Amino acid sequence: MNYKAVIIGGSAGSFQIVARILNSLNSNFPLPVLLCLHRLKHVRSGFVEALSLKSNIPVTEPYDKEQLKAGQAYLAPANYHMFLELANRIALSADEPVNHSRPSIDLSFITAAYAYRDKLIGIILSGANRDGAFGLNKVAENGGVTIVQDPTESEVRTMPESALKLTKVDYIYSADQIIKFLQKL
Amino acid sequence: MVELGIVDIREIIRLIKNQYDIDFSTFALTSLKYRLEHIIAKNNLTSPENLYRKLTDHHEFFDTFTHQLFVPSTEMFRDPSVWRWLREEYFSNLDDKSLTNFKIWLPYCVSGGELYTISILLKELELLNKVKIIATVFSDTSLDFIKSGEYHLKKIEISAENYTRFQGSVELQNYYKLEQYAAKRDVSLIKNVEFIKDDIYFNKAPKNVKLILMRNVMIYFNPSYQEAILQKMYDCLGGSGNLIVGLKELIRQTQNSHSLFETVNTHEGIYKKRMN
Repeated sequence: MNYKAVIIGGSAGSFQIVARILNSLNSNFPLPVLLCLHRLKHVRSGFVEALSLKSNIPVTEPYDKEQLKAGQAYLAPANYHMFLELANRIALSADEPVNHSRPSIDLSFITAAYAYRDKLIGIILSGANRDGAFGLNKVAENGGVTIVQDPTESEVRTMPESALKLTKVDYIYSADQIIKFLQKL
Repeated sequence: MVELGIVDIREIIRLIKNQYDIDFSTFALTSLKYRLEHIIAKNNLTSPENLYRKLTDHHEFFDTFTHQLFVPSTEMFRDPSVWRWLREEYFSNLDDKSLTNFKIWLPYCVSGGELYTISILLKELELLNKVKIIATVFSDTSLDFIKSGEYHLKKIEISAENYTRFQGSVELQNYYKLEQYAAKRDVSLIKNVEFIKDDIYFNKAPKNVKLILMRNVMIYFNPSYQEAILQKMYDCLGGSGNLIVGLKELIRQTQNSHSLFETVNTHEGIYKKRMN
């Protein structure tokens, strides 16, 4: 196993899946988990607390330039983009929204793909727009592993379907299969 | 969109250092890369080479370039609770004596979002004419934009929602007019503001400042330059002056034996100059 990070993008219908994933990971999960999920820009608190209740690994909204650690989950904070810097650090940005989204899943995935190249696992879950499709394509271009939640079981299919349209992904998995895949790392 | 490699970015940094004597290696790499790609697209330059040429042969372009490179604030009244704190916990505790020579400095203005916000807040407290606001810009393009009052319609919409959460005394629309493609903010709000055109070294920074508003600025710089900026802010603040940074900009304890700031309210990004 020589991966460096897992990045997960989702929007409408992804919360329960993310909670299940975090609940299923061992407390000594060997990688940092980056979560870029669409959320209301003016609601600051509640989200990370709700995920933390279910999670087996610590979940935080990182500060700017925070160093990533294995076995921790990092949730993109409200109204910021979450970029990955080359030195294994988070870099936040308040740049313009992309696809009406800040945080933008595309930007998190593009910067993570640039920083981790083929050592990245990118996962797109249920969601109501096409954010993340371009970013997942960059993960594939850089040789990373690409996984999309099976649209037939996704609560909202637009996001997984848009990702599949743009990229020949490595795996189309149900939530259970995604969990099994991560547990084997 | 053109994608820049690390070599291209280094070349642009080198070129700007040579020709304009500003060191952009102080920027956080990822957001610098993203902004440069955005500039190439926005100016139809189609390749990094065209950007080199434009920066080399057209020095007048550098002002526009600077304006486009710096990320503007997202909207007015971002994080309403911070502005509520300023109104209810901060300005309400100041008497006339403490308001003498009261200087507020905004060290990084691109679109004037924070500048108009603090001006509205002060106007509603009837303090706008009692304090001095100083705003630093990095380009004439930014200065012209701020002075024109122009603001993006989408941003006005979000600002109005924020203003409602801020619970201001009127409606945000009292402070702007809608035009066909943009909103026009009330420029009388900023008529007494002193503007300083400077660069990222802040050599023209004011002294003896009481309050610095520098939210979501440090995020665009690398960790070692962030420390240099904090030192600069420390030097500009008068005794027990306050510094407000973005909600996700943590002022860490530095390796120095003493730290520069003490926390007032981490949740809202509010710090105070530590007195030795």
